[in-house]
Amino acid sequence: TSNGVEKKQVKKFESYKRENQLPVGVADLKIMVDVRAQTIILPIFGRPVPFHISTIKNVSKNEEDPFTHLRINLVSPGQGVGKKDELPLEDSSAHFVRSLSYRSTDRARMAEISQSIQDMKKQALKRDQEKKEMED
Amino acid sequence: MPEQETFENIYKDLSKEPGRCRFAKGGMGWKVNGGTTWTIHADMINGCMSHWSRAARGYECKIHTKAADVGIMQLDGFEAHDFDRLKDILKQLYNITLESREHTLKGWNWGKAEFSKSELYFNVNNKPAFEIPFDEVSNSNLAGKAEVAIEFADKSDLEADATGKKKKKVFAGVDQLMEMRLYIPGMPEKGDGDDDEESKA
Repeated sequence: TSNGVEKKQVKKFESYKRENQLPVGVADLKIMVDVRAQTIILPIFGRPVPFHISTIKNVSKNEEDPFTHLRINLVSPGQGVGKKDELPLEDSSAHFVRSLSYRSTDRARMAEISQSIQDMKKQALKRDQEKKEMED
Repeated sequence: MPEQETFENIYKDLSKEPGRCRFAKGGMGWKVNGGTTWTIHADMINGCMSHWSRAARGYECKIHTKAADVGIMQLDGFEAHDFDRLKDILKQLYNITLESREHTLKGWNWGKAEFSKSELYFNVNNKPAFEIPFDEVSNSNLAGKAEVAIEFADKSDLEADATGKKKKKVFAGVDQLMEMRLYIPGMPEKGDGDDDEESKA
């Protein structure tokens, strides 16, 4: 270790291997939750961009008529103590996408997305915990 | 060799409706059924950089045009088998080399932010995950230690969009990306000139 940054094994997760695995719904250019792939797909300038649940830290929702704001925080370095374990750092000079903020007039769907991300995160953490206990 | 090629169901710059896209000697035209024809002169795309990638509606042809008011043109909705026909006509008419560019689908949020002439690329494992056209950036600032905030819509953009003066891609969809924050280590810290002399400048 150097500079207090511990080298960690890259966690082996991958949202999709092939382009044809992307759900059909990406054509709508909307935020999508794909539970099967444990992935959130975010539209970024016309491209559907997957983010695996393991990269998601949390999500916050904020109503400001007529918009609902959704901020998706991703796991990245320097976010306080006890977070180092989550980092897939192999290269300490890596850049991270730290957060993405969207607004939408589709209030009900935003609430649904926020809830599904939280549920998916909860389940992923639970699975990780169980795996850890098995290893111990 | 055909003198022109036409493609149906093409979405231009994240448009809601698809249109007919035609490449001819004088330039390229795009028209939604019942709408007016949008055109760009051949001189404005001649020899320009162009990429073919999987996008939202299908495959996308991106052309980095020379027209300041157009910037990077995104044509989405091509089918995989359109590649050869498109590649040939772009080469023949405008000396454009259509390059195939595969994006990562790993779902990782770490990599390298790299800058080209007109876009920021976020590369994961040497493959781009997404691009941000500089034209779409309203503001960017150092938001904290090693943190860059990139804003896509400020007040003037909102006003310009409301009055139809300028259409930014950020407003194209229902879900609009307003801000992105990147963690970039090794940048001079804000208001901290002690350990980095350059930041005093």
